[in-house]
Amino acid sequence: MHVQDLFQAAYSGILYGSVYGLMAIGLTLIWGSLRMLNLAHGSLYLSGAYLAFALVNLKVVHLPLLVSFGLAVVGAGVVGFLIQFLMVDRILGKPGWDTASLIVTVGASIMLQSAALLIFGAQRKAMPVLLEGRFRIGAMLIDYHRLMIIGLGVVSLIALSLFLRRTRYGLAIQAVSQHMDAARLMGIPVRSTFWIVMFLSAALAGLAGVLLSSVFELSPTAGYNPMARALVVTIFGGLGSVKGTIWAAFIIGLLESFLQVYAGAGWALPGLFGFMIVMLIIRPNGLFGLGEMQRL
Amino acid sequence: MIQEAQPSLRTGSDILNKLQWSAGPWGKPRPAAVIAGIVIMLLLPWGLDAISFGAFAIHLLILIFGWGMVVECWNLIMGVSGIYSFGQLALYAVGGFTSGILVKEFGFTPWVTMWAGAVMTAFVAVIIGLPVLRLKGAYVVLLTLAFHELFRNWILNGPRWISYGGYGLREVPRLPPASWFGAEKTLPVQFMLGGFNIDLSGDKVLLLYYYLGLVLFGLCTFAIWRILYSPIGMSFRALRDSEAYAVSRGIDPFRFKLFLFAFSAFFTGLAGAYLTHYDGTISPVLLDFGRLINLLAMIALGGWGTFWGPIFGTALLTVLPEVLRSLEGYRNLSIGLALALIAMFAPQGLLPALVRLFRRATKGRRARQAARPVQPKEAIESLKQ
Repeated sequence: MHVQDLFQAAYSGILYGSVYGLMAIGLTLIWGSLRMLNLAHGSLYLSGAYLAFALVNLKVVHLPLLVSFGLAVVGAGVVGFLIQFLMVDRILGKPGWDTASLIVTVGASIMLQSAALLIFGAQRKAMPVLLEGRFRIGAMLIDYHRLMIIGLGVVSLIALSLFLRRTRYGLAIQAVSQHMDAARLMGIPVRSTFWIVMFLSAALAGLAGVLLSSVFELSPTAGYNPMARALVVTIFGGLGSVKGTIWAAFIIGLLESFLQVYAGAGWALPGLFGFMIVMLIIRPNGLFGLGEMQRL
Repeated sequence: MIQEAQPSLRTGSDILNKLQWSAGPWGKPRPAAVIAGIVIMLLLPWGLDAISFGAFAIHLLILIFGWGMVVECWNLIMGVSGIYSFGQLALYAVGGFTSGILVKEFGFTPWVTMWAGAVMTAFVAVIIGLPVLRLKGAYVVLLTLAFHELFRNWILNGPRWISYGGYGLREVPRLPPASWFGAEKTLPVQFMLGGFNIDLSGDKVLLLYYYLGLVLFGLCTFAIWRILYSPIGMSFRALRDSEAYAVSRGIDPFRFKLFLFAFSAFFTGLAGAYLTHYDGTISPVLLDFGRLINLLAMIALGGWGTFWGPIFGTALLTVLPEVLRSLEGYRNLSIGLALALIAMFAPQGLLPALVRLFRRATKGRRARQAARPVQPKEAIESLKQ
């Protein structure tokens, strides 16, 4: 056990944590406000990543990397909005919501995934890196790109929580997730609040996709693993609790990277799932889950 | 006076009939229809034998039997009792791997190990069910998905005698095991049974699988029918629709759910073992998320929570991709689209929607029948029952 192993593990743990946070916060926002388990979240990650890939490789105009990444994030948000607008809106408020929302999101997920397969093919793609170069602290190699991912992740998490607490729209989201009918009676447009929630969470998933697909490779099934991790994170933090989710993201990220370093890469995912199962048995509402009383 | 009293008598007996139908121990299948169905299914292979693609049709029927059992059982959990468990495919794999390993590594005969696989699956389901069934809604989805992933990881990275390096079990002995009949190690098999010379060479071996599948499928379907139209089935629906009320009427949700979980796992494992011995192979690829979605689509398209829906959905999604093979690339896209459309416009599924359409089309005829004045004698007789 070298000290640098420890630092390396902690560093990549924080990297994972910030990206999982981006993924999981969207899941938890949607669950908090809509009471819908969005199984299309992995596909939103995928659409962000593939949009960025398409924009970077555009033949007609040569966009700067930063611009095309930004456009891809917005595009993923629009995809999420379209899922909400075209599909979920139709089943909103009808009986059998649990079943219908599950089927709709699964359907949307397969559609996006197979569209990616049809358009881009099954082979793996490599995404260019935004910032080249690396530096060295002692024996540790730190590249700018990963550092930037951590920075962007943390900044957007902070921005999101500021948005939720300080702006009209954020407060509307909170109100809707606490009590939808009461919020509607107070004159909050519930439908368009859901649009905002869906756009935001899809954009965050897209951001995670854009950032992470240059670290890992990009393929039509690449959305599954981040979503599985995000599910673990949301469970661990308590579905619907933003604070819990952010804490859980970093705890899970650190746990995964320590498992990878000290137990081997094959044990990371089973270890996480085992951890989650134990967690659910001990605290069925998650780390910060407060039952149905108080969310977000 | 009697003219006025008749409508209420009529509705009263209707409600009585409905109650008996749903809560009575048996439901009311038409004996003639059941017998006709069984006879048709028994004779079908001989008819198909005459057609050029008959063997392929029997192959598809075998797949429908196997996956139909899995989907029916999943529907029992998801649709009827509202436990959103995504562990069904893992349970299927438990049955398949158990039976396959017992045959391949220990040399038992598949006729016995199939049942061992089923019992093992039920046992695993009880172990999984203990933590899962205390949770609700989305948490059940997540925890069962976690078990699914754990199981897949264990098969991929676990002991060598299971994983064979990620390829799964290959060359699992198929039915009938040749050693049983004192024949050579390989098919074809010919043997005498009660004076009949039974020839299972070539495509004819399909017949053995067909009839075995028919028996297993019939057993499973009958058991599910029996459960659905019994007080137990009524309890499940009560638990799904209003858990608080059901509990207040003295139904223990945990015990009922655990029973249902183990019950459906038993037949799922049986189907897994059956199809494993039919394919001769089982691999971790089976546990891909896409396969799970395909099964989910079978339930959702056919009819969520209904008796015939899952069977219809399985048949549809097994036959349709074969017929539309040229559109293979668009298969997943269209399944996704169909799922979304179904959830939006016909949340109960395709079969109930079709039935409703049919009823609307024949509405005139039934309206004339209903307009027939009710004889006081009939009404009193139906109340007496």
